Amino acid sequence: MTDIRLSVNGRPIAGACEPRTHLADFLRDRLDLTGTHLRCEQGVCGACTVLIDGAPARSCINYAVNCQGAEVTTIEGFGGDEVMSRLRTAFHEEHALQCGFCTPGMLVTARDIVLRLPEADAAQVRTELSGNLCRCTGYAGIVRAICRVLDERRGAAPVSAGRLGPVGARPGASVAGARPAMTEAGTAPAAAPGTGELGLGGRKPNLETALSFTVRRPIDEVWAVLGDIPRVARCMPGASLSAPPSDGHVEGRMSVKVGPIATNFAGAARIVREEAERRGTLYGAGRDGLSGSSARAEVTYALAPTGPDATRIDITLKTVLAGPLAQFGRSGIVKELMARLAEQFARRLEQTLEHGAPDDEAMPETSLRPLALIAGLIADKFRSLFRRAR
Amino acid sequence: MKPAPFDYTRPASVSEAAAALAAGEGGAKLIAGGQSLGPMLNLRLVQPRLLVDVAGIEALHAFEETADALRIGAGITAANIEDQRIDTGAVPLLQRVAAGIAYRAVRNRGTIGGSLCHADPAADWVNLMPALGVRYELVGPSGRRTVAAADFMTAAFETVLAPDEVLETVVIPKPSAGARFGHVKIARKTGKFAMAIAVVVSDPGRGVFRALIGATHGRPLVVEEAASLLGSDGNTPDTARIGALLVEAGITEPAARQLHLTALRRAAAEAFSKALPS
Ligand code: FES
Ligand code: FES
Repeated sequence: MTDIRLSVNGRPIAGACEPRTHLADFLRDRLDLTGTHLRCEQGVCGACTVLIDGAPARSCINYAVNCQGAEVTTIEGFGGDEVMSRLRTAFHEEHALQCGFCTPGMLVTARDIVLRLPEADAAQVRTELSGNLCRCTGYAGIVRAICRVLDERRGAAPVSAGRLGPVGARPGASVAGARPAMTEAGTAPAAAPGTGELGLGGRKPNLETALSFTVRRPIDEVWAVLGDIPRVARCMPGASLSAPPSDGHVEGRMSVKVGPIATNFAGAARIVREEAERRGTLYGAGRDGLSGSSARAEVTYALAPTGPDATRIDITLKTVLAGPLAQFGRSGIVKELMARLAEQFARRLEQTLEHGAPDDEAMPETSLRPLALIAGLIADKFRSLFRRAR
Repeated sequence: MKPAPFDYTRPASVSEAAAALAAGEGGAKLIAGGQSLGPMLNLRLVQPRLLVDVAGIEALHAFEETADALRIGAGITAANIEDQRIDTGAVPLLQRVAAGIAYRAVRNRGTIGGSLCHADPAADWVNLMPALGVRYELVGPSGRRTVAAADFMTAAFETVLAPDEVLETVVIPKPSAGARFGHVKIARKTGKFAMAIAVVVSDPGRGVFRALIGATHGRPLVVEEAASLLGSDGNTPDTARIGALLVEAGITEPAARQLHLTALRRAAAEAFSKALPS
């Protein structure tokens, strides 16, 4: 718990709250100011927009502790505000709301537009409103209402609140020499692998990637090595088996770290090998104990001889990712990451096939920076290309 | 949609912040405006044990214009630049790019340094600074160092910043009078993550003709001698070569490649649309 003091709608507030309590929860649950609405809680929809130090800000991605000493104004705090009163009338008369869910955030944003951009036209109003989503009105009434108040005030001088640095931020007290308190490291709850359905189960994959490479080894040898599950698992960056595989059934973990994002998937897989076709498929499912994301995957490998001592390996990977990792909405980056993982897996597999199993030194099982590695590679290639061009 | 528990400290200075990060032994995370980190914390994609809040540190709000550069404190927000609360007129692109970042409510909190250190491949500042030949001044327990913007980001969400280092100042060289700029950002909707960003800078007075292809899946591509890509007149792009660079950077989808190519063409056209003053 951290003690905080701030001003809300002109009233001084003091209290203790958990650092992870975002401002909107603090306003709604502690102060009963439920006019501030919450929907996406990731800064996208604008429903939670309030004024901090007189400037609009999201109360869902600013924590109450960040607002120590700040002046917060919620939709309940505009009683005597002239512009807000005009906006209320205009919203009413122009049908700028239906269910009203977006309205508190809309009004706070609208007031900022009117004050800060007194010469705005309808197109600019629309641009400025792009951070506030409305599911009901189609925006036309909202834009009309704001334009009406702008017209009423034509000629007014622009007013913009704010200061240097983030609104709401205040200098801290010196903590020199003190060791900061730290929350205990969370332990990822162990998933219960192996019980549920494995593979995609007919679901449509949302991420797919494929790659092929050729190794200088005869097909029978490649086929045999691919049947050695612990050896193959060691080729997968960040993966480890939690028990020896039995009868094509494996359980294990996989952790991948990208910048500050850490995942730690626990899961199970069944591997089906079709001897005659020289083809194998892994049906897997896992859950990230940290974010609660879940993943299902089907990985197929197919072997084809390209000579007496050479084999082509075609790998296809289909995944259904669900939960926060998918919600984060950056499928391009996740897809890229998967492709890079697959590429690294292929390279390690190639190494183990051509030169025997490399030692653990060369294949760290936990720490992984695949994107960093590959990006470095690209940069090098790029530089050499560029040098040639010069 | 609530973050996992974390502790919180608000140090008074940059050196105290670096010390707190060092004491956190990998469990501590710096937060400035929190406009990128906040969503990730709420989604529990990031689970630090300690947040070190530097948003209020006044040294990070410093601004200085010297004879040849703008020195912008890492804690200056996009709205500060959009409103010209600091005068960045010497580098005209800054105000325009600032005004195009996300939404006003986000710009009021989001800082220039926070965005650069977060290193999201689609972020606006990330895809501008390398094109302007910017340098970053970093402060850590063992002292200060300077890193070129082009060398700072290593991959998506990854930088050369040590776990206990803090980005303090963004040093932007002033272009000469004849400099020309083109900047194009393609996004599905105002404020959304960019699908393509391109920057072209032509500053013959300083011997600079640079192109940047941004909003890739990793670090932006920076081409120092852009004449080899765009032609010496800037308007005869070698589309085959640009396409090959994009493929190498992992942009394999034809539609995505076309977007990047279009952005680059438009940026070059903007930079070269007016005749250079003699
Ligand atoms: S709830 Fe805050 S932006 Fe959606
Ligand atoms: S009025 Fe219903 S969401 Fe806007």
